[in-house]
Amino acid sequence: MLDLRLPTGWFFTMAGVILVIMGLASPERAALSDANVNLYSGLFMTAFGLFLLALAWRASRREP
Amino acid sequence: MGLKLAFVDYLILALYFAFVLGIGWRLRKKISTSGDFLTSSHSVPVWITSLAFLAANLGAVELVGMSASGAKYGIMTAHFYWIGAVPAMLFVGIFMMPFYYGSRARSVPEYLKMRFDEKTRAVNAFSFAVMTIFSSGISMYALGLLLKLVLGWSFTASVLCSAAIVLVYTFLGGLTSAIYNEVLQFFLIVIGFSPLAILAVMKAGGWSGIESRLPPAMTHSWQYMGSASSNPMGIEVFGLVAGLGFVLSFGYWCTNYLVVQRAMAAESMSAARRTPVLAAIPKSLLPFVVIVPGIAAVALANMSVGYSLPLKPGGGPDYDQVITTLMAKFYPAGMLGIGMTGLMASFMSGMAGNVTAFNTVWTYDIYQSYIRPGAPDRHYLTVARMATVVGVLLSIATAYLATRYNNIMDLLQLVFGFVNAPLFATFLLGMFWKRTTGHAAFTGLVSGTLAAALTHGLTMAEGKGGWIANIHTFPSVMAQNFWIAICAWTTCFVLTIAVSVVTRPRPEKELEGLVYGLTPLKHDIGVSWFLRPAPIAVAVIIGLALLNIWFA
Repeated sequence: MLDLRLPTGWFFTMAGVILVIMGLASPERAALSDANVNLYSGLFMTAFGLFLLALAWRASRREP
Repeated sequence: MGLKLAFVDYLILALYFAFVLGIGWRLRKKISTSGDFLTSSHSVPVWITSLAFLAANLGAVELVGMSASGAKYGIMTAHFYWIGAVPAMLFVGIFMMPFYYGSRARSVPEYLKMRFDEKTRAVNAFSFAVMTIFSSGISMYALGLLLKLVLGWSFTASVLCSAAIVLVYTFLGGLTSAIYNEVLQFFLIVIGFSPLAILAVMKAGGWSGIESRLPPAMTHSWQYMGSASSNPMGIEVFGLVAGLGFVLSFGYWCTNYLVVQRAMAAESMSAARRTPVLAAIPKSLLPFVVIVPGIAAVALANMSVGYSLPLKPGGGPDYDQVITTLMAKFYPAGMLGIGMTGLMASFMSGMAGNVTAFNTVWTYDIYQSYIRPGAPDRHYLTVARMATVVGVLLSIATAYLATRYNNIMDLLQLVFGFVNAPLFATFLLGMFWKRTTGHAAFTGLVSGTLAAALTHGLTMAEGKGGWIANIHTFPSVMAQNFWIAICAWTTCFVLTIAVSVVTRPRPEKELEGLVYGLTPLKHDIGVSWFLRPAPIAVAVIIGLALLNIWFA
């Protein structure tokens, strides 16, 4: 059975990394916000993705 | 309004498409029986069924509609969650799931067949099947319209493309695939929309800043409920609590197979009961993600920061566009991709929910029951796969029908409302009063629906209804809907009891596992106390009370 944490974790890690790159590379800001929205949400998404991957990895080690 | 997606936004959208299709592809090998395809054969872990339970209801129409209501009515919209959905979810988990799951019924209509009789099932199965098709068609229509308006995408392209993706992954992996993807979609909706809530509220000066810029009735959920004229929804406490909180919400969350199906896919009775109860935790917090941005938008429009409410071509605010106009103002390229993907994800989770509920009811409750019983299981698996394709095609047809005949869609939604309103009375009596008979349930359901239609025909609100005569005028359509529901429910409840008393009851032996009092409830054995549904539910109720007081 597929461990759903794997694809979900991969998706958010990948999308998060894309956003972090965008946040660092381009100074673009949205019209009404001075915050670097891409960087912060990207970091959060990456962390969330890696957290899911870590859980899945731990579970797969416990029951091979 | 011009929202332009950059390359990176399309990249994120493509990544999402690849993942949902990939999940469907990986799960295709698991399907060998019709049970695997239609009901996941009781094999899905509880955290997944819980989130899917939420996501299947969190379609694009709900998402866009809730932010629109937030802008229109303010924090009162949270009543749909805080006295509506959440208590009903706790109830279905704790009190009703033992009978749904324990009866080994494969669907809600099948439970009605086991508990009552063939005709009661037939009413429920047919109306439900038609309803799922129309609601997925209508949400497809809404999405196509929104994407055309906001991004300039072709209606046909967005409708066909999104329907095709939903079709592929539900066709490949059946209910399991739909449920697994709903979890990914749920996270995407929350992650794509919460930054919007945070940014918009911050810009408006926090909650206190919003309070200072809006009429007090928009930032208090209870204080202005005393009389219908003092709040923007036009409803008073009794109509709200009885109509929305009790009849409509319990009717939806406790009897709608679309959501109940997710809980029934759980791997054990205990997990099935915990599914809606655990789902109630994020559900209580969802208003902050889906309603608050709408409220903040109105506050922002009252400031001179460069945001104004979107307008309809004919004038007047177009609340349905609030969420996308906010995204345009607060999200840079990149995050905008996540936000639009979240919108797409909400559409897909809602549609997949409808399609997977439709194919099960069609295959088990209509085809196997009335068209061709007794065939080998392989045959039903084929029928189920075909029903998935046909269901999607019919939804597409409905979406196009909606572009031409908007009035028919309004009428149909009204009729579905009539059919749904009395349902909870039937289930409540069926599950908790062993004396209830099949003839009574059928009579109650039909007369409840008629009572709903009659109430609509005799009352008016905002120029709607009153096609027989007008004996009462409600201050708002919402108030009218709540009272229609109350009348339908009461009629069904009273008539079901009355007819039960004069008809012959079924022998108690046949009702074991179907009715409270005749069912041994041993589902919590071996589960630690803090994982049992009741303690979790108590915690949710405390949290809910605090939320209601905080925003009263």
